[in-house]
Amino acid sequence: MAVEMTMPILVVDDYKTMIRIIRNLLKQIGFENVDEAADGQEAYEKMQKNKYGLVISDWNMEPMTGYELLQKVRADESMKATPFIMVTAESKTENVVAAKRAGVNNYIVKPFNAGTLKSKMTAVLGDF
Amino acid sequence: MPAANVAAQVRTSLASLKASDLQDAQIMEVLKLAHQLTDTMKLFFSSLDQSICQEFNYIADYISRTRDEIAALRPNDIKTERIPSAGVELEAVVGDTEKATETIMSEAEAVLCEEATDYDEYRANVEARMMTIIEACSFQDLAGQRVSKVVNSLRHVESRVARFAEVMGVREDESFETEAEKAERERARKNLLNGPAIGGPETSQDAIDAMFSEDGGAADLDQSSIDNLFD
Repeated sequence: MAVEMTMPILVVDDYKTMIRIIRNLLKQIGFENVDEAADGQEAYEKMQKNKYGLVISDWNMEPMTGYELLQKVRADESMKATPFIMVTAESKTENVVAAKRAGVNNYIVKPFNAGTLKSKMTAVLGDF
Repeated sequence: MPAANVAAQVRTSLASLKASDLQDAQIMEVLKLAHQLTDTMKLFFSSLDQSICQEFNYIADYISRTRDEIAALRPNDIKTERIPSAGVELEAVVGDTEKATETIMSEAEAVLCEEATDYDEYRANVEARMMTIIEACSFQDLAGQRVSKVVNSLRHVESRVARFAEVMGVREDESFETEAEKAERERARKNLLNGPAIGGPETSQDAIDAMFSEDGGAADLDQSSIDNLFD
């Protein structure tokens, strides 16, 4: 099934600049329907109200981390199927393995570029 | 009451008893023995008082020396100057970085939205925005200088703390941790909050991609990435 370019994407990061960078990269790729949250808790609340086609989340945030958000999303029937990409500076193998076990669909290490983001989105969502 | 005074009081009482014209020889013998005993006690308690006095003098000297050593470390300088100044410098770094990032991002976004209908105008606009971006990058020089000052302050504090620990004969005690520190450490452990690695990602994007490939990807990992999996 073709990817709907107007699908809503939720970007979760506690740094406004990083959200802005990801917004710009997504725009460059062709996705402009982007919502944002400053931490896992805010993201989870937004996900309870809205349906997103993809979540792109940072790991290290307060009070709820991206890892905790991932675990909550995967444990919630109403949102467990939402594709989830972790974008983070946490590059230890234990982080990648833990995220994979928790059900993350892909993992991007910061810093990254539009090409990397696009290739991981393609791997998760299919060609667009 | 000091021990020597007690002994003196007992002696006085004994002398008073002897002087009261007692006729019983046995009582006189007991009084004589008691007198000898108080003489011995007086000597014993005097030496005891003296050794306690010496101990207290030693402790007082030690406290005085330690206070001088601590004063030489200038702890107030660390508290009122070094740490606050380091905090101000770091806040300035964050502020400068945010300002520069805002400028660079805004100019870059403006370039992306630039209408390219007139080539000369387009080129002039892009060049002007590129120059603004280049100028904004000068924040790195200022940030570098500010961070150097902070690093120097931290080294200063480190050396003073080390000297203080040496003066006080402090040994490492791993159990010393506030409740807030314990909670933060537990949160970091539970959430695997390791932070960015120094000198680039600890696991490369290629190695991560291999882990997410359909076959599990172990065959695609280089030896160092495989080794990392077993660390």
